[in-house]
This record gives sequence, structure tokens and C-alpha cells, in this order.
Amino acid sequence: MRILLVEDDPMIGDAIQRALTDASYAADWVKNGLTGLAALDTHAYDLVLLDLGLPGKDGLDVLASIRARNNPVPLLIITARDSLDDRLRGLDGGADDYLLKPFDMAELLARMRAVLRRKGGAALPLLGNGVVSLDLLSKQASTDEHSGVALSSREFALLQALLIRPGAILSRSELEDRLYGWGNEVESNAIEFLIHALRRKLGSHVIKNVRGMGWMVSKNV
Amino acid sequence: MDGFKKRLTESVQLRLSVALALAILLVAALASVFAFVSAFDEAHELQDDTLRQVAVLFDRQQMTMRYPEGQGIEGDDEESRVIIQYLADGKHALAGDDEVIPLPLPTTLADGLSTVEVGGEAFRVLVRTTARGERIAVAQETGGRDKDARESAWRSLLPFLILFPVLLLVVGDLVRKLFRPIATLAAEIDQRAEQELHPIDEQHLPTEVRPFVVAINRLLERVAQSMDGQRRFVADAAHELRSPMTALSLQAERLAASEMPTQARERLLPLIRGIERGRKLIDQLLTLAAAQSTANRPLATVSVHAVYRQVLEDLLPLAECKHIDIGVESVQDVQVIINELDLFTLVKNLVDNAIRYTPEGGRVDLTVERVQGVARLQVKDTGPGITADEQARVFDPFYRSLGTEEAGSGLGLSIVKAIAERTGARVHMGFTDEINHTGLCITVSLAGER
Repeated sequence: MRILLVEDDPMIGDAIQRALTDASYAADWVKNGLTGLAALDTHAYDLVLLDLGLPGKDGLDVLASIRARNNPVPLLIITARDSLDDRLRGLDGGADDYLLKPFDMAELLARMRAVLRRKGGAALPLLGNGVVSLDLLSKQASTDEHSGVALSSREFALLQALLIRPGAILSRSELEDRLYGWGNEVESNAIEFLIHALRRKLGSHVIKNVRGMGWMVSKNV
Repeated sequence: MDGFKKRLTESVQLRLSVALALAILLVAALASVFAFVSAFDEAHELQDDTLRQVAVLFDRQQMTMRYPEGQGIEGDDEESRVIIQYLADGKHALAGDDEVIPLPLPTTLADGLSTVEVGGEAFRVLVRTTARGERIAVAQETGGRDKDARESAWRSLLPFLILFPVLLLVVGDLVRKLFRPIATLAAEIDQRAEQELHPIDEQHLPTEVRPFVVAINRLLERVAQSMDGQRRFVADAAHELRSPMTALSLQAERLAASEMPTQARERLLPLIRGIERGRKLIDQLLTLAAAQSTANRPLATVSVHAVYRQVLEDLLPLAECKHIDIGVESVQDVQVIINELDLFTLVKNLVDNAIRYTPEGGRVDLTVERVQGVARLQVKDTGPGITADEQARVFDPFYRSLGTEEAGSGLGLSIVKAIAERTGARVHMGFTDEINHTGLCITVSLAGER
């Protein structure tokens, strides 16, 4: 995969380029927006990493130019600008994600994978957080200890709801909303019962209880 | 007396009151003397006129005169009576007696008014030669005359006696009223928080004070600018530090991913932790700068439980690392009107602090309740707590409790304080366990309707 990195800071640019190479990407590094636009004209890239504080042409202007040319290349902004306004302008301007400096390379790579997956339309029918993974087709869950555990449809729906955004806490009523349709009578401890069953099948560390708030699966391990 | 003198030189109000009072006193005194003298003279002239009229009456109506004998008649007062006699009869009268008429007046008196001593008492005497050629004398005792004149003169002073104290009261009241806007303004400025550097309203002030207030406003503006400059500098500096920090952490991460001997890896770990700490500090500095800036943030109705949830989602990994049981105790959610990011930052820093200072296996509880219209948010932990003498200092930037090994930024509570001051929230510190004085319990009270 070929990546275009537009970053004016030599140390950061160097570090990212080398890390991308380590991660088996082909990375071209340019130091200002105009060169970046020129590179996009001559080569086909799978993804662009764009810094906002660029000399000459600002990152947001570069983004606007790219989108004005109807170039749908996946684009991820990496910047030190943390104001909500900048973030919104970046995302509204057609960026696929926004990463704030300082960041970990591991996170950048994960976000790149997510953007590529979304843009490619080839989302794997698999949800996971590193502790547990859920196959959306076979409705089977796997952990390090147990693999291919069959789940009931309610158990599957509950685990899916939690795995859509790992790290997010879902309250009992939110889980009930997602599991039961209108008019369905929900028993008072139905959610606890399902979570108990899931923990018995997959291990108690898989689903965490947050006292007074609800349940969650860990974000990453 | 010295105190009064000092106050006199320092207080314009007192000086004005005293000067006006003295001026009124002086003018009143001069006016009184003048009024007294003129009223006195006027009375005398009036009495002289009476003598003249009596003489003319006698002359015009060609009266004949008989002197009284024996007992005096009712209503005749020796002191104030008017006596009429032929001047020539004076020499038959008993010398040295002013009781009986005729009086022993000297016959040599010339026509006109004169004051004559008779029997040890002064008399005012008018001598007139009538059309028939007789010389008559009309006389009155001066004692009675003077008494009447004095009485009428004193009466003329009465208005001044009433006016003087009334004027003093009016002046005192007026001066106090004129200075009241200044006192009100001083009280208003006194109640301002340190960030409230908006200009003083000069519209309703006397023109004499206005230049002073305008000058103060200019100073306030300069102070606000310089404070703004400082805050911007901190924000810019932290911002600028982000890039080198990013480069540093990326390089360290790359280094960690490469093959290296165990010893090198052991030495790399503290380096990575140090970089992580620097990143955290920069983030907190930026948060503090943002919390202190006076920019208006949009307010909204915010659910406290929703904010608690976001904070817990962020900080749960940290709590799990230390096996801390963290959770929300209150069942009922409370809505408050505040900027959501402000409340999030405030709660996050409190909870972060609680997790940091609670030992392994401890417990952190979040609660919210509404007490008499005030939303009361509480974060309780089972850490060592903060003693009363430390409580004031923990809000200072970079302050760290003695004996803590925690690698916090030292800015968390400063951020809490800055947000609380800006949003009008009150922060109170206490102990989770009031009896043993352990565990920190921070209460944030937010006024605001449901």
C-alpha cells in the first residue's frame, strides 16, 4: 500500500515514515502542501496523512484542493491543533479521521487500518477488542481460552452491542432497547442473566461491570 | 483630635461638610449681628417717632394739661409710660424723683431730641415749641425703650437660629448623597473575582470622578491584556512543545520495536515513561490555559450521569491498573446548565486525582444529588485525604502533597479551581471518613435550575 505523508516537521516526518516502512507500507514524505498536491497528481495513493500547520499552503486548504479535484483518497489529519473548530472543519472538509499530536504510532496505524477498511468497503464480518472477537456471520465468539463459542441470539446481540464501541459503557436500559423490540415484555433481571451466561461461556473478565453505570468491554489490551 | 485631623485631610466628604458648616456659621453670625443692630435701631426710631407724634397731637389739638395727683391710674406703667409736661414746670418739680410728674427737666433744653439723666435714670426727651409759644417736653424712660428694642431685635434673630441647624443637616445629607455612587462603586469592584477585568461603568458618576475611573479602566484593560498575553504564551508554548514531543515519542516507540539487549530495554522503559509524563503535562497545561481563558462557552442542559459515564469510560483503564473499584452511587440523575466540556474537564480531573491518590484495591465513588436547587457532585476516595492546612494550597499549580510518589502533572486541581471560578461553582474539601480523617471527599456545588 502506498501512503503519502505531508508533514513539515523533519523529526516527526522521519519517525512516521520509518514506522510506516516497518509496518510494510510504501511511504512518500513531502514537506509542504503544494508538493503534496503535485505528488497526488502523479501517483495513486491508498491513503494520505496530512498535517495541518504546513508552510505555504495550510493543511485545510490542501484538503479542500484535494476534495475539489474529486479525489476520494482516504485522508487522515494529524495535527497539534486541538480546538473543536479545527477538528470540525477538518472532518467537514472531507477528512476521514483526525488524530491529535502527540500520538502513539500504534494508534496511528490502527486508525489508518480503520479508515482503509471503511473506505474499501471490505469491513470484515468480525468485531473485537483484543480480548474477545465476535464473528457476525457464524454468531460465534472467541477468546484466548475458548474459541468458536456458540451464542444464543440474545447473547450475540448483547455482545455485539458492547463490541460496536469497545470502552463505551452501556446502561441497562440502553441494552434493553437494543435487545428487545417494542411491546416485548422485558424481565427485570434479563440483562444480568444474559451477562452471567456470557461470562460463564467466555470468562468473567470479558464483560466488565461499572458500578452504578452499566457494562462495557475493554477498549484495548 | 489627631485622628480627626487625619480624617479631615484624607476625606473630601468630611472636608466639604466641615467647610460648608463653617461658612454657614460665619455668614449666619454676620447676618445676625447686622439684623440685631438694625432691628435695635429701627425700634428706637419707631419710639422716637411716637414721642414726636404725641408732641404734634398735643400741639395740633391745642390741648391743655393737668398733672396727675395722688394715686396713679390702672394700666399706667412707670417704665414705659410717655410723659408730657411744660418744660418750664421742670424747675418746680422735686429734683431727684422720676416718679411724680412733672419731671425735674432742665429748662435749658433746646428743641429736638435728647437724652437726659433724671433722678439717676436716663430719659429720652423731645422738646417742642407749640404754635401758642409754649415749650413742651415729651419724655420716656430709656430703660423700657431699650428693653422693647432688644426684644424685637432678638426676635429678628429667630429665623437664623432655626435655619442654621437645618442648613447643617441638609448640607451633611447632600454631601453624603453625592458621594454615595462612589461608595457603591467601591463595593461593586470589591466583590469582583480576579478574572473580572471588564471596565467600570462610568455613566452614573460625577464628572469630577470620571477621569479617575477612566484611568482605572485603562489600567484594567492593560492588566487584562497582559494576563491574556501570559495565558496565550502558556498555551502557545505548550502547543509548540507538542511537535517535538510527538517526534520524541514516535522515535522512542520505534526504538522499543527494534531488537535490543535486555539491559537496553530496561533502560528504555523509564525513558518512555518520562516522555509519557511530558505529554501529559503539556496536555494539562493546555487544559489549564483553556480553563482560565475568559472566552464565552455555549451553555446547555447537561446530564451529570452522562458526564460521569464519559469520564469513567476515559479513566476506567487507569482504575483497573490499580484494581480500584470505581462507580456511581447515586441512582437519580441531575441536570445542570453549564458548558459540557467544562463539566467534563472538571469531573475528569477530580476523578483522575482520586484514582491517583487511592492505594491499590481502594474505592472511588461518584454521586450527584440536588439539595435545595443546588446540584451537589461528590467524588469520594479511600486515599489518605488532604489535611485542613493543606487544603488551601492544593489548588496552586504544581503543588504536590508531601510523600506522594504519584507522577501527576500537579495541575489537576488548578484546572478544577479555574473552571469552578469561571462557572460560579463552589468546591469544598472534606474527608470520606470524618472520624478517622482519611479519604478525600470533594464536593462541587453548582447552582442552576433543573
